[in-house]
Amino acid sequence: MSKPIENNMSTTLPEGILGSKSKTVNKRKKGTLKAYLYLLPALLLLGIWMYRPLLSTFNLAFYQWGMVPGTTPVPVGWDNFVRLFSSKDFGISVSNTIFYTVGLLPFSIIIPLFLAVATHNMKGKMKNVYRAFFFIPLILAPVSVGAIWRWLFHPSNGLVNIMLVKLGVIEKNIAFFSDPLFAKWLVLLITGWKMIGFSTIMFSAALTGISKDYYEAVSLDGANTLQQFKDITLPLLSPMILFMVTMSILFSSQWSFAYIDILTAGGPFGTSTNIYYEMYKYGFSNLDVGMGSAAAVLFFIVFAFIALALNMLSKKYAFYDN
Amino acid sequence: MLTRKLKPSTFLQHVLLILMSVIAIFPLYWMVISSFKNEAEIFTASLFPASPTFKNYLYAFTEMPIFRMMLNSFITASLLTILQLGTSILAGYAFVRWQFRGSFLIYTILSLSWLIPVQAIMIPNYVLINQIGLNETLLGIVIPLAVSTFAIMSMYQSFKAFPVALIEAARLDGESDFGILAKIILPNMKSTIASLGILLFISGWNEYLWPMLITTQMENAPIQIGLRAFVNSDENLWGSLMAATTISSLPILIIYFILRKHVIDSFVRFGIK
Repeated sequence: MSKPIENNMSTTLPEGILGSKSKTVNKRKKGTLKAYLYLLPALLLLGIWMYRPLLSTFNLAFYQWGMVPGTTPVPVGWDNFVRLFSSKDFGISVSNTIFYTVGLLPFSIIIPLFLAVATHNMKGKMKNVYRAFFFIPLILAPVSVGAIWRWLFHPSNGLVNIMLVKLGVIEKNIAFFSDPLFAKWLVLLITGWKMIGFSTIMFSAALTGISKDYYEAVSLDGANTLQQFKDITLPLLSPMILFMVTMSILFSSQWSFAYIDILTAGGPFGTSTNIYYEMYKYGFSNLDVGMGSAAAVLFFIVFAFIALALNMLSKKYAFYDN
Repeated sequence: MLTRKLKPSTFLQHVLLILMSVIAIFPLYWMVISSFKNEAEIFTASLFPASPTFKNYLYAFTEMPIFRMMLNSFITASLLTILQLGTSILAGYAFVRWQFRGSFLIYTILSLSWLIPVQAIMIPNYVLINQIGLNETLLGIVIPLAVSTFAIMSMYQSFKAFPVALIEAARLDGESDFGILAKIILPNMKSTIASLGILLFISGWNEYLWPMLITTQMENAPIQIGLRAFVNSDENLWGSLMAATTISSLPILIIYFILRKHVIDSFVRFGIK
C-alpha cells in the first residue's frame, strides 16, 4: 500500500515545493557561511597559535635544534625519544608529576569538601566571611604567592624558621627549598594552599542546589550528620566531585609549574621538578628543542588518554538528580 | 549574653574553620606587614611593625620601573579581556544562531585545544613571535593568547540558555544577524559577560609563563615578570620585595574587595583553567 503513495508523491511533487526546498538548501549554505564568518577570528587565531605550534612540536620531536637564528633543525629520527628515556631527570620528573597530581587531590577534594559542608548550614555572616577568606589565595598571582612563601620559609630569616627554633622543634635553621626532603612537599603544599578556595566555592555552589527536603526526609528517619553526608551529600555532589577530580588531575602539573619555577627551580638535584618544568628547561635553559618537543609529544598523548578516560568515567558514574 | 549553647561538634567545626582561614590569609598579612617593617625589624617575628616605614616602597620604586610595569600589566590584561571576550562572543553566537554543517566537528576542535598546555606549544610560538619581530612587545604577549578556548566554551554554554524565541522574533522583525547579537543578546547577557570579563582580567593580570618568554627588559614586561626577576635576584631585600608584591597584588585585591560577590560568582559560573 505504501509504495504507490510514495511513487505518487515523487512524481506529482509540485514545482513550488521543489523550489522552496532548494531555497532552504541555499539558506542553509548561507547560514553556514555566516556561521563560519563569526567563527573565523577564533578559528584563525587558534589555528595559528595552538594547532600550528602543536603540529610543529610533533615535528620538532624528530629534529635536533638549538633555536639559534639562522640554523635549521637537523633530522635525527627517534633519537630524542631515546635520549629522553635514558635521561635521569625525565624519570624523576615523571614520578614527581604523579606525586603532585595525586598529592593535590586532598587539597582539591577532601579539604574543600569539608570546608564547603561545614560552612553550608551556617546562618548569618560568618558563612560568607569564611568563604571569602578561603578564596583569597586563589586570585593572587602565582609569582606573588611564590614570593610570599619564599619569604616565609627563608633559610636564615624566615618566620617559619624563627618560630620553629623558638618553639624548640628544630635547633638549626632549615634551608627548606634546597633540602631534597622538603622541597617537593613544600611545592605541593603551596600549590594546594592556592587551590583550596576554588574547589570549596564550587562545592558550596553545588550544595546550594541540593533541596533541603532530602535532608529533612532522612533526618526524620533518624539519620545523623555523618549518615546524611554519606547518603545524600556525597551522591548528589558526585558530578561536581568528579568534575573537580578531572580538573585537578588534568591541570595540577600546570598549577604547580609557577611554584617550582619560583621556589626551587626544580631543585635541589631535580627533586622537585615536574614534566612541564622539564619541557621548559629543555627548551629554554638547555636549548634542546628536540628533547623538549619529544617530552611534549609524549605527555600530550598521555594526557589526552587520561582526559578521555576521565570523561568516560564521569559520564558513567556521575549521579544526577533530575 | 551567651545563652545559646554551642554543641561540641559545632565548636570544633569553628575552630577548624578559623584555623583554615588563618592559614589562608596569614601569608597575605605577613606580606603587607613585612613591607612596612624597617631594617631592624624585618628579620624579627613581630606581628606588627613597631615603627612603620615607607622606605621599602621607595626603594622598590627606585629599583624597578613599577609604574611602567603596572601599566604594561593593565594594558595586557585589558586587551586580553577584550579580545578573548570578543572572539568568544562571536564564536558562541555562531553556534546558537545557525545549525550548520561541521558545527559539531568545529566545537570539538575548539574545545580540545583546552587540553593543549602552554609548555607543549611555547617553542614554535616563541620562534614565530621572534620572526615577526613582536618579541619585547605587549602585542607579542597578547596576540597568541587572544583566543581563550575556555572563554569560548563558557560563552557557548551561556548562549545556549538564551531563549531562541527572542532571536526568532527579532529575525522576523527583519533585524540583521549582527543586530540580533548586539541589540537582543548582549544587553540581556550583560552580567554573564561581566562575570567572564572579571575572570579573564584576573587571569590576564596573573599570566606568567608566556610573558616571561616574550619580555626580558623590565620596561617591556608586566609586573609579574619584574617581580620574578626581583625574587631571583638573591639580594636580601625582603622588605622591598614584599612592598613590590603588595603593589602588584593591589589591583586584584581591590577588584576582589569591591566586587567580591561578582568575583566569586564568576568563578562558580565559569571555573578556571
